[in-house]
Amino acid sequence: MMNNVMTIILAGGRGERLYPLTKDRAKPAVPFGGIYRIIDFTLSNCLNSHVRKINVFTQYKSISLDRHIKLGWNIFNNELGEYINVIPPQQRTSENWYMGTADAIYQNIYSIEAERPEHVMILSGDHIYKMNYEMMFRFHVEKNADVTVGGIEFDVAKAARQFGILEINEDRRIIGFEEKPEHPKTIPGSPDKALSSMGIYIFKTDKLMRAVIEDTKKDSAHDFGKNIIPGMFKKDRVFAYLFVDENKKEVKYWRDIGTLDAYWEANMDLIEVTPVFNMYDKEWPLRTYQEQHPPAKTVFAQEHKGGRVGAALDSIISAGCIISGGKVQRSILSPEVRVNSYSNVFQSILMEGVNIGRHAKIKNAIIDKGVSIPEYAEIGYDLEKDRKHYTVTDSGIVVIPKGATVENDK
Amino acid sequence: MATILVVEDDKNQRVLYEDELKEEGYHVILAKDGREAVRKVRDNKIDLVVLDIRMPGADGVETLSNIIAVNKKVPVILNTAYTSYKDNFMTWAAEKYIVKSSDLSELKKSIKEILDRKKPGE
Repeated sequence: MMNNVMTIILAGGRGERLYPLTKDRAKPAVPFGGIYRIIDFTLSNCLNSHVRKINVFTQYKSISLDRHIKLGWNIFNNELGEYINVIPPQQRTSENWYMGTADAIYQNIYSIEAERPEHVMILSGDHIYKMNYEMMFRFHVEKNADVTVGGIEFDVAKAARQFGILEINEDRRIIGFEEKPEHPKTIPGSPDKALSSMGIYIFKTDKLMRAVIEDTKKDSAHDFGKNIIPGMFKKDRVFAYLFVDENKKEVKYWRDIGTLDAYWEANMDLIEVTPVFNMYDKEWPLRTYQEQHPPAKTVFAQEHKGGRVGAALDSIISAGCIISGGKVQRSILSPEVRVNSYSNVFQSILMEGVNIGRHAKIKNAIIDKGVSIPEYAEIGYDLEKDRKHYTVTDSGIVVIPKGATVENDK
Repeated sequence: MATILVVEDDKNQRVLYEDELKEEGYHVILAKDGREAVRKVRDNKIDLVVLDIRMPGADGVETLSNIIAVNKKVPVILNTAYTSYKDNFMTWAAEKYIVKSSDLSELKKSIKEILDRKKPGE
């Protein structure tokens, strides 16, 4: 079914609002849920949807992403026509960086030319959701669409003044666009729902090529959502496919982890008794790259007064972690994290290799890869003090970047 | 007077195009290859480019994308003896694809049409 489809994952965004997590890596390479990177969810969707011809277009700070994909996703069989390529800008049609999503496609016109697939599917490497792209492709073929846009429903009240809204008719054909309207047009048959673009598209290849070539000659933002689709729907067959959530919960799960607060909250969801985002569904496996680590371990159970207890409650603990006499609660620990005696970690995200020194107290923090927290340090308890050294978000989350030297508070 | 850049590796053909287009009242600039063509588009105010495809060095298709990179608004006519490039995506960026013939009337007609169409917006 998906044999004549080339998939392109746009993974070149800077993710500036996630800074400093994007200090050394592109947004799709930002760790999530202990062992994953954000792009793993889109790539897992591809795997679960029989998508086997994938080009990942990178741009800024791509080393970490490139490495992750080479190590973790090099599972496709070239002899069966399957591949995953990581493609940096070729500077063949332009001397500029990608000026927008459509420009990223235009600048790679030769790699599409070389293969000449019948259809091109364009995805973003920035979003977390579970979706069967094969179903969307089937819809695209059934409708004989020139382009199909993935759309997600929102309550009208929530969508008003917030999102770009797609107006569709009964046949799901797109008949209008509105940018952040006061009164969004609703979906036929669902008077309380409005449809917003997910930034994913399936094009007939020739239509895509003509559209991006035409666009490159214009003064435009070179953006699919803002320029290409609004310029096409009047003359071409442009349809909207309504997102079917493979997460199978009451509320549809689709997240553009746009801010540090949203990042922290989406991670915290995972430690709920029944998280909204289900990582445990065997019918929709999630894949990532993992090094070999010994199993996670807790030590010290001196449950008498003054004794040391190593414990983790309501938390995700990845392989290789040692919780040695410290207490971890409502937190997410990536591999190889060490939590030492008498320390306390609460509602925090600790990335790979973080070390929490004895007696340290950490609350509402995101601590990036490899950071060592010295003995007696306190993070998240005096935000005025934390603000002097680190990013503190609107809701009071302290973010300690890679390479930071944290001082002893005693 | 509109300025036309003719990109053609064959010297005799360059002279022919220059004479014929001058006769039509255009100012004509010549380039013998893709590299010279891009430089001339960058340095001159060109109203239209007539571009050969099969040339030594960068061919016309690659030159077309290089021209767009320095001036995305200048219209380009691909003028070639071969029809086989028509399916090539990049050639779709040209305003027109003309198969060369000894009679230049189709080329002249297309140049006039494109320049007339261009005027109001310029």
